[in-house]
Amino acid sequence: MHNLKTVFTFEVVRTLKKKTFWITAFSFPVVMTLVFAVIFFSNQATEQASIDTKNQKFSLAITDDAKIINPALISQLNAQTVSSKADGIEQVRTGKIDAYFFYPNNISEQKVEVYAKDVGLFDNNRYQGTAEALITQSAISNVDSQTLAILQKQVAYSSVTYKNGAEYDGFKQLIAPGLFLVLFYILIAMFGSQMLTSTTEEKENRVIEMILTTIKAKTLIIGKILSLIVLSLIQIIAIMIPILLIYLQFGSQLSLPNIDLTNIPLDPLRISIGAAIFASSFMLFTGLLVTLGAAMPTAKEASGFFGLVMMFIFGPLYAFSLFISAPQSPIVTFLSYFPLTAPIPLMLRNAVGNLSVPEAVIGITVLSVSAIIVLAIAIRLFKYGALEYSKRLSLKSLFTGKKNTPR
Amino acid sequence: MSAKPAIVTIDHFRMDFGNETIIKDLSFDIKRGETFGLLGANGSGKTTISRALLGIYQPTAGNLRIDGKEYTVDSGIKLGYLPEERGLYKKESVMTVMTYFGQLKGMTKYDAQKWSTSYLERVGLADKSKTRLDKLSGGQQQKIQLGVTIMNDPELLILDEPTKGFDPINRRLLMNIIEEHQQAGATVIFVTHQMEEVERLCDRIILLKNGEASAYGSIASVKKKFNGASLDDIFVTIYGDDTKESEE
Repeated sequence: MHNLKTVFTFEVVRTLKKKTFWITAFSFPVVMTLVFAVIFFSNQATEQASIDTKNQKFSLAITDDAKIINPALISQLNAQTVSSKADGIEQVRTGKIDAYFFYPNNISEQKVEVYAKDVGLFDNNRYQGTAEALITQSAISNVDSQTLAILQKQVAYSSVTYKNGAEYDGFKQLIAPGLFLVLFYILIAMFGSQMLTSTTEEKENRVIEMILTTIKAKTLIIGKILSLIVLSLIQIIAIMIPILLIYLQFGSQLSLPNIDLTNIPLDPLRISIGAAIFASSFMLFTGLLVTLGAAMPTAKEASGFFGLVMMFIFGPLYAFSLFISAPQSPIVTFLSYFPLTAPIPLMLRNAVGNLSVPEAVIGITVLSVSAIIVLAIAIRLFKYGALEYSKRLSLKSLFTGKKNTPR
Repeated sequence: MSAKPAIVTIDHFRMDFGNETIIKDLSFDIKRGETFGLLGANGSGKTTISRALLGIYQPTAGNLRIDGKEYTVDSGIKLGYLPEERGLYKKESVMTVMTYFGQLKGMTKYDAQKWSTSYLERVGLADKSKTRLDKLSGGQQQKIQLGVTIMNDPELLILDEPTKGFDPINRRLLMNIIEEHQQAGATVIFVTHQMEEVERLCDRIILLKNGEASAYGSIASVKKKFNGASLDDIFVTIYGDDTKESEE
């Protein structure tokens, strides 16, 4: 117990001291901040440009064969009306006026034509903008406010669905249990590589013999795994706090969906199942990555297998729609119970509410038993493969009892 | 010397690697408090014996015991082991690594740091305590490795090719440390083929060839067996053919 605490503290403290840990943790929110900043300032610039465009004055002539433009608006723009299209075009061409709009008889079938003096690639948009604004404002002035709301898709709706006699919001229901899926994805994506290489350091630095004669391999492996879990959580917190601050500070200006956190349904059963699937999945894949690392002589060689593991974990995401639409299909059942693919299907189905309790129990049991087996293999590999400084430990030598190799 | 109890007993030890037998039915013991030389040419099985003794290798047959039981980290033996393949956590500072190993060996953090500070002062590296190991010279790293080996005041010190790669300064430091531990009553197992140091430090020796003992006993008795020849000459006598073969 004393050594487990020592290993755990050593691994956590030295990782927290690494710049790369904090760079990784903060790079995500920093990148997000930069993206949001670009969107924010871009929106502001566009808005300002729009205001500038509106305020720009230009001389204008209009031919309204459709009789659709409100004359009051034409007066507001100090525009002149011309009866001949050719005349209007000629006035623009010779520079007498800046722009000429031609509204044909039937605007549902014919194009509105805009002729104007060139004022630059971007500023030329103001002419078509004005032509559009004229036609829109004219239409609006002819309809009542309710019709306008319908046309502008500004009608608000509220819908209530019922399940088992009680109100049930499927989307909100999936938020809380779905968070485990997001957490799992982020942790594996960000920490997977570190898990994979966590046990190769002792080999690469030739410190393994001193370690194995000082502490048990089991203590070292478990200490490392526990430290990885804690470090993962620290990194998640480090990522989430800036994101939360950005959301609270600038959320309204970024047009982000407004989610009422107090109104999210918390189904204790689904949250518990989600937590259990998450914990067993995380243990399984941590163990698997540590096992691969223990079998490889160097971090570089171990990293080669990272993509393979990721394929197993996240490959089922390609069958996303199947997990929702056909949860009882054989392929979904297989992916839900095969240990290497089970985490995503189980967490996703639990989130959307089509994973029954017996199915969840089977899935969690499969994941937990697999995690224990994989961890036992990791410890054995580390112990007996420890002195394989230059080559991979074969599974044959591990399981046939030929633990020692000549040196 | 023979009246002392054995701290290490190796009884009918056999070690196979695949189809190759490295150690054949080897038996000997090491008395508590003595300095014992485990000698042999390269590939004679010296390192295999120390690894099997410490549980890193599983013996094919026989028993290897320290204080009457197979070694595990829970045995309660205060062990100092300097392996042939050596290294430390290179990206960490000297003090971090020394404190870590001290704690793993049962010291409190405070005691480990105190001991490490004192050791670093002794070996002239007091100003390097916060320096990363990979920023130290090879010789400085050797001093740290040696410090980590002896920092729990071991009652059994196993040094596998301890002078390998050591410069003369570190070699002298090592010899002084071995002598200090001898005087403190520790048992020292010296795994080497450096006969000069063996002659100077060891009480008894075993000479291995082809997985068997070619000679075993006190240095005086071994010399007597070889008509008073020096250990160097005895070594050449035993391994001369092997050396010739390897040269060819």
